[in-house]
Amino acid sequence: MTWRVLRRMIAMDIMQNLEYRGAFLLYMVGLLATPVISLLVWLAVSAGSHGLPFDRQQFVTYYLLLSVTSMVTSVWLGPWVAENIRLGGLSPWLLRPAPYILNQIANNVGEKIVKLPLLVPLVALLGFAFRGDVHLPTDPWAWLLFTLCLPLSASVAFLLDFTLGSLAFWVHDVRGLLRVKYLLSGFLAGQFVPLELFPPALRGVLDVQPFRYTLSFPLEVVTGSLTRTQVLQGFLWQIGYCVALWAVYRVEWHFGLRAYGAAGA
Amino acid sequence: MTVENLSKTYRHHQREPGLGGSVRSLFRRQSLERVAVDRVSFSIEAGEIVGFLGPNGAGKTTTLKMLCGLLFPSAGQVSVLGFTPFQRQAAFLERIALVMGQKTMLAWDIPAMETLLLQRDMYGLSRAEFKASLGELTELLDVGPLLQVQVRKLSLGERMKMELLAALLHRPDVLFLDEPTIGLDVLSQQRVRDFLRDLNRERGTTILLTSHYMDDIEALCRRVMVIDRGQLYFDGELAALVERLAPMKQVQALYAEAVPVEQARLELDGLTPRQDDDLRRIRVAAPRDRVVEVAACLLRLGPAIDLTVEEAPVEEIVRDLFRERRRTEVEP
Repeated sequence: MTWRVLRRMIAMDIMQNLEYRGAFLLYMVGLLATPVISLLVWLAVSAGSHGLPFDRQQFVTYYLLLSVTSMVTSVWLGPWVAENIRLGGLSPWLLRPAPYILNQIANNVGEKIVKLPLLVPLVALLGFAFRGDVHLPTDPWAWLLFTLCLPLSASVAFLLDFTLGSLAFWVHDVRGLLRVKYLLSGFLAGQFVPLELFPPALRGVLDVQPFRYTLSFPLEVVTGSLTRTQVLQGFLWQIGYCVALWAVYRVEWHFGLRAYGAAGA
Repeated sequence: MTVENLSKTYRHHQREPGLGGSVRSLFRRQSLERVAVDRVSFSIEAGEIVGFLGPNGAGKTTTLKMLCGLLFPSAGQVSVLGFTPFQRQAAFLERIALVMGQKTMLAWDIPAMETLLLQRDMYGLSRAEFKASLGELTELLDVGPLLQVQVRKLSLGERMKMELLAALLHRPDVLFLDEPTIGLDVLSQQRVRDFLRDLNRERGTTILLTSHYMDDIEALCRRVMVIDRGQLYFDGELAALVERLAPMKQVQALYAEAVPVEQARLELDGLTPRQDDDLRRIRVAAPRDRVVEVAACLLRLGPAIDLTVEEAPVEEIVRDLFRERRRTEVEP
């Protein structure tokens, strides 16, 4: 039954999102702005300096792949979850025999199904503009691992946001916390700076922190910058984070619902 | 449905007004407790319609939310259909529904039919069950043409009907209603009341409703519970509440010509008949057990063309009750 409910919810979300396709196109342009600006900055840096572990082609390929990957793994639910808890919007969901998280999963998947077809032509345009520097991997094994990796990355990103938003059961305003998280994520997920460019001394910490597994890790897998052992370790970390964050979610909601005030009529 | 010594206490922070208060509250906060529901006990039989009365902040909605599992009680026991509501077991949720006048369960940007299909999947209804229930409710609520209209384009009354439809599609045994007619025009209020009455009669649905509109309560509920400051003040028949709070009835006679009121004053010992300026109308506030005596006396005074015996309006009675309770609490 859960799958049928999820399918229905996703279909409803797609229908609702299609109402706002104009707004989505603008959102897509905004979403592409960060990787494009980062790319332009890094191209300027790489042109004037030597000794960077990335060359021009690697930067272009990395940010081109990042623009699609970040869409697939992107999340925006934290503030909504927090608002629903704080203002009582959770109540109509709690009264029905389906978990609230299902609705958020449907919203996330549904919006991406609408957004991705809008994003792909924009990324293709970007690729065309830098066509001389794009070197997409040719190893099918790398693409297969990348495809397996993406849903896990999306899950880690989703659960991180959901568990942080759920702190609204106890904290009046989690927006500040979520802003810090989004800022940290920009650096630690490899969005502003590829993680491989950080000083080697930091690599130990960077390799195990959760944000890497929301965005950077699938890119590292597909661009072939990891050994087989590192890929295996990375998958284990991803699965571990999914399990741990799911456990945090269950504990939070077990106790959080006791503190829920069901504000409003 | 049984409730024993049910209580709910909210914790909140007290903050001084203004910017200074906000800054100070960053460093020092005074935590306070507010008892919203205080050791309330009652039971409701299957098939009853019970009205929950009380002023704003009395604890009505908080009690309702604990009964349907939204709020975790601070103390006491609740059992609804043999379940503990807060455990929110699927078997429990499939047999109850809550309709809130100020919260929607309908997806805003798409037709209500889509939410109804989601309800079908959530409650595991077969296509035949869905079709039968939808057909019945659509006819009762008279909303057939509205099913394919975007929810945001419906009027408030139409939306409320759709909320009812969505909440009742799975044929719940217990229906909780929180201000179901709030914001509706008089005609829509009447339609919703008629629908709820039919629902109770035809499906045997147990209904517990809160409303600020006494018309809702009078039209639907034989039994009422009055709650104030979190405590249950009265639990019984509406008629008994009225009798307890308003023991006097208004007897009024209208005559074809002027009549002598002195005669009535002599006969009706202890009562005060009042006569209008045109001397053709006499009013007497009488205890219930002397209404017949008063009416007979008024009819003897002259050629009457109308005689009425009226209750004080229930809304007024309840308003006076809460006003009186506040006054006695303030005065030593």
